Amino acid sequence: MEVLHNSMYYVGAAALILIGLYVILVKRNLIKVIIGIHLLDTGVNVLLISVGYIKGGKAPIFTGTSLGPAQFVDPIPQALVLTAIVIGVGVLALALSITVKVYQHHGTLDLRKIKGLKW
Amino acid sequence: MVASLLIAIPFLGAFAIPLFGLVSKRLSHYVPALALLANLIISIVLIPQVMSAPIIVSIGGWAPPLCINLVVGPLGLLLAILISLIGLLVAIYGVNYIQEEPREKYHMLLLCLLAGGTGMVLTGDIFNLFVFFEILSLSSYALTAYNKDRGGTEAAIKYLIQGSIGSAFILIAIAFLYGLFGTLNMADIASMVGGADPAFLFISLALLIAGFGIEAAIFPLNAWLPDAHSSAPSSVSAILSGIAIETGAYAVARVTYTVFNADGIMTLIAVVGVITLLIGEMSAFRQKEDVKRLLAYSSIGQMGLILFAFGISTQSGVFAALFQLVSHTLAKSLLFLAVGYMIYRVGSKKLSAFAGLGRKMPITGVMIAVAVLSLVGVPPFAGFMSKFSIVRVGLQQHSATYTGLVVLILVATVIEVGYFLRLLQILFFTETETEGKRMELPLSALIPITILAALIVAIGVYPHIITHLLQEAANGLVERSAYIQSVLGAL
Repeated sequence: MEVLHNSMYYVGAAALILIGLYVILVKRNLIKVIIGIHLLDTGVNVLLISVGYIKGGKAPIFTGTSLGPAQFVDPIPQALVLTAIVIGVGVLALALSITVKVYQHHGTLDLRKIKGLKW
Repeated sequence: MVASLLIAIPFLGAFAIPLFGLVSKRLSHYVPALALLANLIISIVLIPQVMSAPIIVSIGGWAPPLCINLVVGPLGLLLAILISLIGLLVAIYGVNYIQEEPREKYHMLLLCLLAGGTGMVLTGDIFNLFVFFEILSLSSYALTAYNKDRGGTEAAIKYLIQGSIGSAFILIAIAFLYGLFGTLNMADIASMVGGADPAFLFISLALLIAGFGIEAAIFPLNAWLPDAHSSAPSSVSAILSGIAIETGAYAVARVTYTVFNADGIMTLIAVVGVITLLIGEMSAFRQKEDVKRLLAYSSIGQMGLILFAFGISTQSGVFAALFQLVSHTLAKSLLFLAVGYMIYRVGSKKLSAFAGLGRKMPITGVMIAVAVLSLVGVPPFAGFMSKFSIVRVGLQQHSATYTGLVVLILVATVIEVGYFLRLLQILFFTETETEGKRMELPLSALIPITILAALIVAIGVYPHIITHLLQEAANGLVERSAYIQSVLGAL
C-alpha cells in the first residue's frame, strides 16, 4: 500500500490514459470516441503535473523570501499543461464541429456505418 | 534575430488576413504568397551564415538550457527553404483554385500550417516541437475538411482521431523526459541521455516515434493518409504530401539521431521503412479508380524509402534520405497541383476520366510526365539522383540485411513503374471521343507547376546546386556532439 500511496498521482494518470485509450478503441459512437480523446488528454495532463509535484509543495507564486525554492512545486510542468489544455480545447472544438458535418452527410454517428472512403 | 522572423512572419500574416479581409477580400488572398516570399528570401539569405555555424536564437534573454531556443542549422534551414518554396507556389496556385467560401479562412489555415512546419524544423526545444506539431496538425485537420463534403469530413475525423492519439503519446514521452532530466532543451537532454535508465528511455523513444510516426505515415500508422490526401482540396493535398509528412519524418529523425542517439533501432527503422515502401507501392498499384488516392499511396511508398535511408545511420545515408525528401516533395507537389485542376476540368477523380487529357493539355501533360519519371527514378531527373544515392549507400553497407532490403526497394520500384506508366498511358495514349479542343490550365496553376518541373530537371542535371547544403544538413543530423556544443556552448 505504501508504494501505491506514494505514487497515487501516477496511478491516477495512467488509469485516465488507459480508460481514454480503451474508449477510443472500443466505442462505436463518434461522440464517445471524442470523449475518449479528451480523457486521454486529461490523463496526460495529470501525468505532467505529477512529474513536477512535491509533496506538500506550495503553488509556484513568488510571494516573499520566507520560502525556499524546495518548498514550491515545479512551475514548468504547470506551464506545459496550460499550453496542452489550450491545444486540447482546440482539438475538441474542431472534432465536434467536424462531427456536426459528418452527421449532416451520413445521418449517423456510428463509426461502423461511416465508411464512404474505403481502402 | 533575423532567423526568428521565419516563424514570426507567417503567423503575423495568418492573423492579419482577417484584418486585410475587412479592407478588401481580394487583397487578403495574396497575403500568404507575400509572407512566404519574404520567408523564402530570408532563408536563402541566411544560407552562407548558417553554413559556417548554426544560428542559435534564445527567446526571452535567458541562456539556452533555460529558455526556449531556435536552432537554425543547415538541416532546419534546408527544410525551411523547402517549406517556404512549396508554400509559396501553393499559395499562388490557391488564389484562383480555391473558390469555396470562406476563402480567407483557407489562406489563414494554410499559413498556420506552414508556420507550424517551419517552427518544427527550426526549434531546439522538445515541448516547442510538440506545440508547433500541434499547430501543423490542427490546421491540416481543418484544411482536410475545408470543402465540407462527404469525403472530406470523414477523412478529417479519421485523421483527427489518429492524430490526437499520436500527440497524446508525444506528450507522455515529453513528461517522461522532463521527469528524467528536468529539462526540455533537446541539446541538454541529448548531453545527459547516456546516463539515464534505459527502460524509461526506450518507452519515451517508442512513444515519440509512434506519435510522430502517425504524421510521417510509417507503416502500421498510416491508415489516415490515403483518405486525407485524396479527399482534401488538391492544393492542400500538395502541402500535406509535400510538407506535412516530411516534417513528421524530420521529427522522427531528429529524435532518434540527436536526442536519443539510438543506434540500436536504426536497422528496425530501415526494415519498417522498406515494409512501408512495399505496402504503399502495392496499394497504389491496386488503385485503378481514384487518381488522388493513387498519388497518396505513392506518397506512403516514398516515405518508406526516406525512412529506409534514414535507417542507414551514416552521413551518406542521411544525405540520401534528405535528397530523396527534396525530390519527392518537388515531384509530388507538382503532381497534386496539376491533377487538381484536371479533376476540376473533367469533374471526376476517376482515372478513366483522364483519358487523352495529356494531349488536350500538352504543357501540363509534359510537366506531369517529368514528375512521374522523376518519382520512378529515370535520369536526368532529380528522382534518379536521389534513388541512385539511396541504393548506392545501401549496397555500401556490405551487410546482408541492407543488401536484401535494397533488392526489395528495387522490386518496389518496378511496381512503381507499373502504375505510373499506366497513368502516363491513360493521359497520353488512350483514345477519347471528344478529341481536339485544347484546354490548358490557367496561368496561376501553370507557373507553380513549371517552376517545380524546372527545379526537378535542374537538380537532376546539375545536383551540385543542392548537394553542398544537403551534405551540411546530413552532418548536422549525424554529428550530435557538434549540435550539443553549438547550443550549450553559446552561453
